[in-house]
Amino acid sequence: MDKLGDGLRELVTGPDRWLNLGLLAGGFMVLALLTLAARALLRIPLKYTLRSLRARWVSSLMTLFGAALVVWASVLAFGLAAGLDHTLQVSSDPLDLLALRKGATAETSSIIEESLARQIATLPGIATNQRGQPLCSPELVVVVNKPRRTGGGHANVLVRGVTPVARELRPNFRLIAGRLPRTGLREAMTSPSMAGRFYGCRLGESLEVWGSQFRIVGLFTCGESAAESEVWTDLKVLGQTSKRPNLLSSVQLRAASPSAMAVLKDRLVNDEQFALKAVTEAEYFAEQAVAGLAIKIVGRIISFFLTIGACFAVANTMFGAVASRAREIGTLRALGFSRSNILAAFLIESLVLAMLGGLLGCLATLPLNGLSTGTANWQTFSEITFAFRFGPKVLLQGAALSVLMGLIGGMLPALRAVLMNTVEALREV
Amino acid sequence: MHSLPAQPVVQLRHVSKEYYRDKLRIPVLADTSLDIPAGEFVAVMGPSGSGKSTLLNLCAGLDRPTTGTIVVAGQDLGELSESQLTRWRSEHLGFIFQLYNLMPVLTAFENVELPLLLTNLSRRERARHVETALRIVGLEDRMHHYPRQLSGGQEQRVAIARAIVTDPVLLLADEPTGNLDAVAAVEVLDLLAQLNAEFGKTIVMVTHDPRAARRAHRILHLEKGRFEEADIEAIERGRSSGGDGERRRSPRAPSAEIAG
Repeated sequence: MDKLGDGLRELVTGPDRWLNLGLLAGGFMVLALLTLAARALLRIPLKYTLRSLRARWVSSLMTLFGAALVVWASVLAFGLAAGLDHTLQVSSDPLDLLALRKGATAETSSIIEESLARQIATLPGIATNQRGQPLCSPELVVVVNKPRRTGGGHANVLVRGVTPVARELRPNFRLIAGRLPRTGLREAMTSPSMAGRFYGCRLGESLEVWGSQFRIVGLFTCGESAAESEVWTDLKVLGQTSKRPNLLSSVQLRAASPSAMAVLKDRLVNDEQFALKAVTEAEYFAEQAVAGLAIKIVGRIISFFLTIGACFAVANTMFGAVASRAREIGTLRALGFSRSNILAAFLIESLVLAMLGGLLGCLATLPLNGLSTGTANWQTFSEITFAFRFGPKVLLQGAALSVLMGLIGGMLPALRAVLMNTVEALREV
Repeated sequence: MHSLPAQPVVQLRHVSKEYYRDKLRIPVLADTSLDIPAGEFVAVMGPSGSGKSTLLNLCAGLDRPTTGTIVVAGQDLGELSESQLTRWRSEHLGFIFQLYNLMPVLTAFENVELPLLLTNLSRRERARHVETALRIVGLEDRMHHYPRQLSGGQEQRVAIARAIVTDPVLLLADEPTGNLDAVAAVEVLDLLAQLNAEFGKTIVMVTHDPRAARRAHRILHLEKGRFEEADIEAIERGRSSGGDGERRRSPRAPSAEIAG
């Protein structure tokens, strides 16, 4: 139920709210139309509609495949965007704060003295864990270039040096295989998707970082967040190995309360002792989301134009259907079927066509579900791993798209059928 | 089946109808008045463009007169809105077309059932009506055949079953034998005569075929938008001597050879 609530909240407040609300409004329109159509369905039987589609099966089938292809491609694009969104999503507490060097846009370009981190930890207003330790995590990131297991080539992998408190700042952290790396040893852990994508990342394998071999001793998940695109090891060991002893990339901390967070942020930024950049995780990932934005925009543009094309295909088929059945339409009118009966029958015909296509398109995306891929994070130039996510939302978008196609593509031909002069239609051979 | 109302089933009063094509006024019917009493079988003849089909369309409320009033089954059609007319049509009229106009994707049963889908009858009641109608036209054994599996004559009989399934007062037939061979034409005309005689259906039939027209009680001859006294003999003489040659579409219509 929580997930449903979250999903609904995201639907109306998330970055896609206009698209979602549009789809929702479209959905309601469709529902209203379907109700109207259902009344008419009792008049002109559905079997007439379905058998008419079958009678013109070549053009019906071609249109159906066209619609399927469009929905498939669009659902793929939506799924890609949703997957990336999900990965970059804030998975941690809204009270979390990320401290970077002033002017740094990413952890990779940020350097903070370790001594500064110790001072930060003593600041008032930082939340503490059950043992009374401040939730303040000094972290060091190092980028290494590693060969991919699939698709060839190399990509950048982010190696993060952490202390145990880092896990407490990531509530979704779960060790799912092996064990945690021991402090002071060249041991590391990473995510299953990284294990599948890069050489040296499987459990028991060794990953070379700056000339040293780090043995992978554990696999973790982290709510499918960006952490799952990283390799985690001990902070001290990584500092020595990468020849950055006593240096950090960032300090993550959690404020005890929203007011404490404001004070902390102000102190970190404006106190000359620190003079850091302090951003919430949401702000940080908003900067990182450029890559996602590109995928989204391109995806939207492609699916927009594809949809227009598919509307024309549906319209073309339906115009053909209307033209070749003019006499049938005239006969139905003469028998006493009303204009709305006729409108509904033809709209339903195009809806059935587009929705069957949509169903096929959605089904065709299922084998790709969960398939992970990567994209360059344009800020850190390390690769972010993310999976296609065909959640209910994405599938709903695909379904809505096909309904829209059927309605828009079918509306003009159906209107033409409705506005046909009965006397003239009866004369058609 | 219907008690005969005192009023004529079809009543035209000073009806005229004109069309405009490219700003050109085309008069079709001129100040026409006509009474068709209940239970009458009327044939309407006349050359192409004389207004036969227009007359039929006006009686059906598919078209509206330019002037004049049309009362069918006691209802002034001019008083009804478009959607009321549509509903009225489904309740009072049966249509028979030259080209049968069956839905090719529906079986004989489903075609006959179509007009009943506009009523509130249950599925069981509808089936009973459809079976009765198909029995009357002698096609109860072809119920589940599609139109393409039937002969022309059988198709027209299914269309007649569809026209009578709602038990309408008035049957309008537009060249019902125009597309049939001689044998099938006779069968269809026999059926219409039977519907008229046994079930008291008022029938208005437009036809080019004098032998078909002869089956009617009365023949109306339309000439340039006006009714004229029909002289069936003269028409037949004209036809046998090369005649008006005005049949609209009759790819296999040897209707002139129907044995009289």
